[in-house]
Amino acid sequence: MPELKHGFRIDREKCAGRMNCMRTCPTHAIRVKKGKASLIPELCIDCGSCLGVCPSGAISATTITFAELDRFKFKVAVASPALFTQFGLHDTPAQVARALLDLGFDAVWEYAVDIDLIDRAITDCVKKWPGPFPLISSSCPVVVRLVQVSYPAMVDHLIPIDAPREIAGRELKRRYSRELGLKPEEIGAIYLTPCQAKTISILQPAEEAESYLDGAVGISQIYNEVLFRLRKTSTKDDTHRLSWISGDLFPWGAPEGEFPHLSREHFLPLTGLSDIIKVFNDIEKGKLKNIEFLECHACQGGCVGGNLTVENLYVARAKNLRLIAGRPKPSPEFEKEVSRRFANEDFSLRGSLKPRPIEGLVLDLRERVIRKKRADELLKALPLLNCGLCGAPSCRNHAEDAGAGRADLGDCIFLSRDRIDDLRKVYKGRI
Amino acid sequence: MTAELMREAFTIQGRNFDKAGEVSSELKVILRDLGIDAATVRRLVIVAFEGEMNVVMYAEHGNLTLILTEEDIRLEIKDEGPGIADIELAMKEGYSTASDEMREMGFGFGMGLPNMRRNSDEFRIESEVGKGTSVFARIKLDSHA
Repeated sequence: MPELKHGFRIDREKCAGRMNCMRTCPTHAIRVKKGKASLIPELCIDCGSCLGVCPSGAISATTITFAELDRFKFKVAVASPALFTQFGLHDTPAQVARALLDLGFDAVWEYAVDIDLIDRAITDCVKKWPGPFPLISSSCPVVVRLVQVSYPAMVDHLIPIDAPREIAGRELKRRYSRELGLKPEEIGAIYLTPCQAKTISILQPAEEAESYLDGAVGISQIYNEVLFRLRKTSTKDDTHRLSWISGDLFPWGAPEGEFPHLSREHFLPLTGLSDIIKVFNDIEKGKLKNIEFLECHACQGGCVGGNLTVENLYVARAKNLRLIAGRPKPSPEFEKEVSRRFANEDFSLRGSLKPRPIEGLVLDLRERVIRKKRADELLKALPLLNCGLCGAPSCRNHAEDAGAGRADLGDCIFLSRDRIDDLRKVYKGRI
Repeated sequence: MTAELMREAFTIQGRNFDKAGEVSSELKVILRDLGIDAATVRRLVIVAFEGEMNVVMYAEHGNLTLILTEEDIRLEIKDEGPGIADIELAMKEGYSTASDEMREMGFGFGMGLPNMRRNSDEFRIESEVGKGTSVFARIKLDSHA
């Protein structure tokens, strides 16, 4: 299997070795050696928890910059519904879309259609699904990687339906290449994302297919530019540039009610990585079989709580409630477009989701057992304080690293007193 | 008989529904970290969990031993419980001696033992009324990866 790519990078120059990332990482994927953080790629599930806690700003999302977009002849924005929750109560999705055009996009995609299509595809799939239950949503890339890495026995619970953003990318390339006579690669399908995790699903989709999208721009990256253009009264009448079929931009946002066609009794939305982990443990034991569809979002509060959003989660949700309350009934054009596309398109995932075992399986079972026993033995020498000064988040992690030959057990300050002097040298001037 | 690679014993506390399932969760993590394939781990966790629940429901105390060889994973679950008078009857799907209280908590539907047998490649029960019950399960390792 190819090495996992990740949606963020650690800038070694900026890293001050403060270990906040190491301590917060839910899969213990970060080590801080010689005062610099590094990643064990196969353990990372791209949840992005490390991004927000770095006091030195050394961890950044690998989104793309505006300058990189110039290689496309026609740039289309696919805006996560979370974008529209980030501005004032009176700023409408249409005004935000106008600001995106001012910013340099050539079109803003009617994403509500794709979301409605996936809602229908999921409803259909759930009805026909023979088991196992519950089915788990696959649109949050963190959830998919969590299952692949930590719950490999549950990969067949992930619903084999593509994410709405991918369906949007496919359709917009088809439509604009036909209308404008451009090659699909000359059209840039850019996702305006609430989190860095969506960028990995573009760089390296979990199902090992090629993404239809060309890149992602973080909401926080464009926030100021959009806000500025929203506040500036535009004299230009460029509504013709919106050229929408249905004009619907905003469908859902909060986790609840994303799947209006599913049975209320058998549908459970779930947000926040720590809650998801608890629930997955129970599913492994056979619980929640009465639930048909479990909608999981790694960020607390769903995508409106993504780590590349700007507004506080609850303010964003308040705006979201207002948008939902003020949303008109779907227009006949919208319904027509959804029906037309539903009849013509395939929404199934283009590849299969396979487990990603953690330990490289190059070793035979005997060797793996020896390593485990060695780690258990080494752990006995450690203080179990999880102070992290060895550079691993817990004594157990340090024992495992040492057992696998990745680290020297003597990096523990309880085992070698020189270690504290070494650390003093490394952190000299930083304290 | 192939050589044992690993043997680990765990204590199960009877009547403690709060902690029920912790041993099987621990087994899952150990086997997953050892790189045992997902389907095998899943079967083993089901067997271990049902076995653990039986101890929690009926006995005061029990032990679970995990034995790993190059060819299979074995589980031995022994308790000092009331014992099973008629093993054949106990293996029938839906047969249960669980109290109403246990059923109210969502346990005791008579699927535990049949479920354990279904997920094992070899399955055996020994029991003596008034003394206790021992369950042996074996799950083959499909590949050594």
